[in-house]
Amino acid sequence: MAMSTPSSPRGGRRPRGALEREILTCLAAADGPLTPSQVLVSLNGDLAYTTVMTTLSRLHDKGVLRRELVGRAYTYSLTADPEGAHSIAVAQRMRRLLETGGDRAGVLAHFIADLAPEDEQLLVDLIEDSRPAGRRDDDESPLTGPGAGHP
Amino acid sequence: MIWLPMWLPLAANAVLAATGPTLVRVLPPRVGVRLLPTAMVVVAAGTGAVLASLGFLALALVPAVAAVGDWSPIALRATRPGPVPMEVAAGVAMLVLLGSAVRQILRAGHFLVRTHSACRSLGTHTYGLVVIADDVPDAYALPTLPGHLPGQAASGIGGRIVVSTALLRLLTAGERRVVLAHETAHLIGHHHLYVQLADLAAAANPLLRATARRVRLAVERDADEAAAAEVGDRRLVARTLARAGLARAAASPLRPDSGVALAATDTFVAQRAMALLSPAPRPRRILAAGLVLLVGVALLGTAAAAHQIDDNLDNAERAPAATASY
Repeated sequence: MAMSTPSSPRGGRRPRGALEREILTCLAAADGPLTPSQVLVSLNGDLAYTTVMTTLSRLHDKGVLRRELVGRAYTYSLTADPEGAHSIAVAQRMRRLLETGGDRAGVLAHFIADLAPEDEQLLVDLIEDSRPAGRRDDDESPLTGPGAGHP
Repeated sequence: MIWLPMWLPLAANAVLAATGPTLVRVLPPRVGVRLLPTAMVVVAAGTGAVLASLGFLALALVPAVAAVGDWSPIALRATRPGPVPMEVAAGVAMLVLLGSAVRQILRAGHFLVRTHSACRSLGTHTYGLVVIADDVPDAYALPTLPGHLPGQAASGIGGRIVVSTALLRLLTAGERRVVLAHETAHLIGHHHLYVQLADLAAAANPLLRATARRVRLAVERDADEAAAAEVGDRRLVARTLARAGLARAAASPLRPDSGVALAATDTFVAQRAMALLSPAPRPRRILAAGLVLLVGVALLGTAAAAHQIDDNLDNAERAPAATASY
């Protein structure tokens, strides 16, 4: 396995593969290809530049990322387009699986599911309250207005 | 008096049914997730064994059965744990519960196989991550059966983490890390197995249903605490939950026609967020030790009951060998 299981100053160690998954979700969320420094910035900079660069080029070697030379830097994007036909087909298949009562068997673990109406206000208040604590961490997107501005 | 141990598993069952939901809530999720499903299965199995023994004592009174075992019905009637109708009822109850448990096993097995084949058909994945195009913010962990999956070794987490593009776009990098760490904790901690065990125990013993429901909450809490430990910030995890939960509510307004599915996917978002804003859970070693003791009592009681029934049947044997030796 690779040499890097970087730990963040405020957090614990990342498990194996965690950084790779974070980078992949970062690229999947981005509007276009990103340079290593853009990835580093969006990961909140608790990592070394070389770590990010090494991981990106390793993912490229595995064929997961597409690499293009733009100016003097490489930019990286996912080989498999998250909005592509394959991804949509997979999404549909998964939804069918979920809708046929899979959760009754207790096999799936959702991060979130549909809320009870009375919980909504509670969560809105909670976001308001936690605003100061969140500031030092990440402020790249607004705290409210879920999904705003996305196609 | 000699029948006393026989009632221990039933007593343990009653105690667990009464205290289980509270125990799951009070114990640290990491401990609760592992300890309670195990305790539930042992206690439910012990109760089933006692019911089966009682049923068998009644069955042994049937002349044809008594003939096979060469038992004397008169001797059998002499010492009994209770009235015969009660024993018959226990036997019938045991059969019904056993049927329910078997159905639960088949249902879970069937779904696990389907999940496994869905995982295989997901095809492209890296490090267990699958990003799907979906307008509904969603993230879940799909466990796979051990082995037989190409690329499984590369993921190293025993399953797939599925995340929708809508959720990824909504969250900051720190929040995305929370979601990934949460789902990874589910897979690495084999949470689905514990949920399955709890559901199985509840199927075999309906008194444990409320506890099984709380185990699902404990599983989510455990994954939340693992994520908090990884990112080093409990408030960030709470905020991620709140934002993702609200976004999902906005994207998919409650549909009354799918009420069953909604109830089944209750993930206690608000409760979990509140728990993360409270101090980290305390160890509660005495409570955990008490639960282990309860399991021990149930096990001992089951063993003693089996022994007692065996003795009883031995004594009732007409003992032709012994008479012949004279």
